[in-house]
Amino acid sequence: MVNAIPLRMDNLAAVGRKLATIAITLLGLLTLTFLIGRVMPVDPVLSIVGPDADHETYMQVYKQLGLDLPIWKQYIIYVNDLLHLDLGRAAMTGQPVAEEIARVLPATVELGTFAIIIGTGCGIPLGVYAASQRGRMGDYIVRVMSLTGYSVPIFWFGMMGLLIFYAWLGWVGGAGRVDLYFDGLVEPKTGLLLLDSAMAGEWEVFRSALSHLILPACILGMHSMAYISRMTRSFMLAQLSQEYIITARVKGLSSRAVLWGHAFMNIRVQLLTIVALAYGTMLEGAVLIETVFAWPGFGQYLTHSLLRGDMNAVMGCVLIVGMIFITLNLIADALYKVFDPRTR
Amino acid sequence: MRNKKTLAVLIASTLLAASPIMSTAEAATPKDQLIIGMSMNNMLTFDPAALTGNDAMDVVSNTYEALIELDAKDKSKILPALAESWTYSDDGKKITFKLRKGVKFQSGNPFTAKDVAWSWVRTVKLNMSQASYWKTYGFNKDNIDSLVKVIDDYTIELNTPDRLDPKLVMYSLASSAGALIIDSELAKQHIVNDDYARDWLNAHSAGSGPYTIKQWRINDVIIMNRNDDYWRGEPKMRRVMIRHMTESQSLRLMVKQGDIDIAKGLSVADVNALKGDEDVKVEEVQKGNVYYLAMSMKDPHFQDKNVRNAVRHLIDYKGINDTIMPSYGIYHQRPIQLSLPATLPEPGYKLDVDMAKAMLSEAGYKDGFKTTIRVLAEPPFLQIATAVQATLAEAGIEAELLTGTGNQVYGAMRERKFEMIVGRGGGGAEPHPHANLRSLAYNPDNRDEARLTNFQGWRTSFQSDEMNNIIVEAAGEMDEQKQIKLYQQAQELYDELVAPIQPISQVVESVVVRSDLRDYVPHPSYTTHFRDVYKAR
Repeated sequence: MVNAIPLRMDNLAAVGRKLATIAITLLGLLTLTFLIGRVMPVDPVLSIVGPDADHETYMQVYKQLGLDLPIWKQYIIYVNDLLHLDLGRAAMTGQPVAEEIARVLPATVELGTFAIIIGTGCGIPLGVYAASQRGRMGDYIVRVMSLTGYSVPIFWFGMMGLLIFYAWLGWVGGAGRVDLYFDGLVEPKTGLLLLDSAMAGEWEVFRSALSHLILPACILGMHSMAYISRMTRSFMLAQLSQEYIITARVKGLSSRAVLWGHAFMNIRVQLLTIVALAYGTMLEGAVLIETVFAWPGFGQYLTHSLLRGDMNAVMGCVLIVGMIFITLNLIADALYKVFDPRTR
Repeated sequence: MRNKKTLAVLIASTLLAASPIMSTAEAATPKDQLIIGMSMNNMLTFDPAALTGNDAMDVVSNTYEALIELDAKDKSKILPALAESWTYSDDGKKITFKLRKGVKFQSGNPFTAKDVAWSWVRTVKLNMSQASYWKTYGFNKDNIDSLVKVIDDYTIELNTPDRLDPKLVMYSLASSAGALIIDSELAKQHIVNDDYARDWLNAHSAGSGPYTIKQWRINDVIIMNRNDDYWRGEPKMRRVMIRHMTESQSLRLMVKQGDIDIAKGLSVADVNALKGDEDVKVEEVQKGNVYYLAMSMKDPHFQDKNVRNAVRHLIDYKGINDTIMPSYGIYHQRPIQLSLPATLPEPGYKLDVDMAKAMLSEAGYKDGFKTTIRVLAEPPFLQIATAVQATLAEAGIEAELLTGTGNQVYGAMRERKFEMIVGRGGGGAEPHPHANLRSLAYNPDNRDEARLTNFQGWRTSFQSDEMNNIIVEAAGEMDEQKQIKLYQQAQELYDELVAPIQPISQVVESVVVRSDLRDYVPHPSYTTHFRDVYKAR
């Protein structure tokens, strides 16, 4: 009992330090992005008024966006708004950035989540298999697949996928999240179309959404599978050369038990980090697949805003990306304790 | 052995998982819905007074209407729309419109002259992108109220500050978004802080057009529903949907498969691949603007007429138009668009390296000089710039290509911080020579402080009082033959002065549509209507 109080204080202090680190990280990100945005040679005003607007119109919008204020004042105003949970309005559309991100993020979450399930579900077993077949045909096949998946531009895979599976075979839906005539039929509750359509009992919409999701998710998943399988193979090889593995084999354990029951158990923590990073990267960087498949997601929104110089939108996105990576790291940290008792 | 089995199971289950999807893929669009695939990157607002770019015109031209419209097949022909008839005053300073009775807006509110007045005054007073056109005719916040006069519910007068060819004004009223008529009663209900309902009209429609905006998800989709009470009669398509698609090959596959009816923005390679395909047809429409090479006369090199003339003869017009421009543009070297009565025959400039070298030598640049060409990093601009770079080099002019987005290229042009630019512009939405010359050659004040950024003549620091006078005089000339002569004079002067913007090709837009689509006519002034479109199934 006497020791519980200092323990709680310790925990509180640890949480406090963690929160402070997160806040400083996010503030640093935003400050850097803000500064980059102000020196980038992209004029958001031109994107709004068009290249043929006269100077009077240009200056009117310039002032409306607050760009006539000193940079330090613009920064203070932005941070102040942020502290009031206001991400500001997108310069291009005048719509609240928070609303726009809330609209596009679920599309990417849906795509990215399916993709990481495919990538992890295929990549890990393939990596383990390759490690167990080291130097043999199975290993070479997996390594070539992995190299191909990682080296060939993902947009090429996307276009070939559309050509083969959509245009030639008719197996899947084309670009977009759903067939257009189903658009608007399901009320967006979560923004995840599969979930929303299932909850609404709109099974035709569900099937259409699935048919549109499967191809981009597979391609994105294949790209992450390539990376995950390579890393899994590397980690497994490092484990399989350990003495305890030799001991396990000598003891008569089956190959399956050695691979999955022993070696794999010791690489779970490392794989967790890899998978978390891969998922985070997918959520913020799937812009090429989103472009090929006309997927109205976060990657496209961020890229488009950046090219237009819409810094409110860009900074909102940077904040979200930062929070995603931080959250994924926190989840990974928590899962470490589950997978590796030594970290508890 | 077991591992091989595991792999086989994995592959089989993946294929099996994919197979139930087979039956969900449906190819044809519904018979009563028009589905369009195009980039929505430039659709930032549907407020007629704030529209930028031409892509959003596809929406506002179908949710709103103007008093008049231009015939898509003969764009110089003015057709009645919300106005039944009109008269011009003899002094060229007043147009009186008799408005159509019995028209209702989508809200059910009656259309009257006060809506016209409110819409036009709004455009000028809001002073957003569409106000620029009005301001070039002398309208401003202080005089607009007095110049737009409501005579009665169905008669309205538009007075112009200066004497102007009424056809010019009419063409502008027919083709510019800022002249579209808004349901003022409905819009006024959404005014916040004297914003003229700008916030609300960004994403909602308040027009009398055949369609109304049901939903807009930015850079995703826009859904327009039919206005069942449309005064011309119910449109055949009950819904028009525009889906955001930027990847040309995806568009090509989708239109080929029949998942979209119209594909806009395909690359030339994809357009060419679809020509001859019986499932689709390629509609080409000539626009009024041009691809050009521009030189800045702020740069000492290009202040010399001999240098500009040398550059004029270092462009391989034929080669560029034959190899790069098919489906992007057609050969044209005049500052006034093709097919107008005033347009002179082509001057026939061609690549002549020896002549160019002689001119450069006379200017004191026997060994050439170094310069830069700013250009958009997309076709056909980059290809034109690359071709020009090669031919300039034959005469010793070393041009470095600086690629960028539209923002960066035209931004530099507006700031007068460039040497050469390969760009596209020159006005021309109105089928009138003034629309082109105003954009390319007019510059009443060449000082940096004047900041006449909407005039490309100012941007290139080109100023000729004689040219300005001809342009102003011609714009106010009522006699058609005299006007034609003045515009021909302007073109000859443009040649003689070796104006720094050299047109290379007149813009052509290619749109791919499904073969069963009928009465879809892309408009040269971007005001394409969907009201008559149907599918022959």
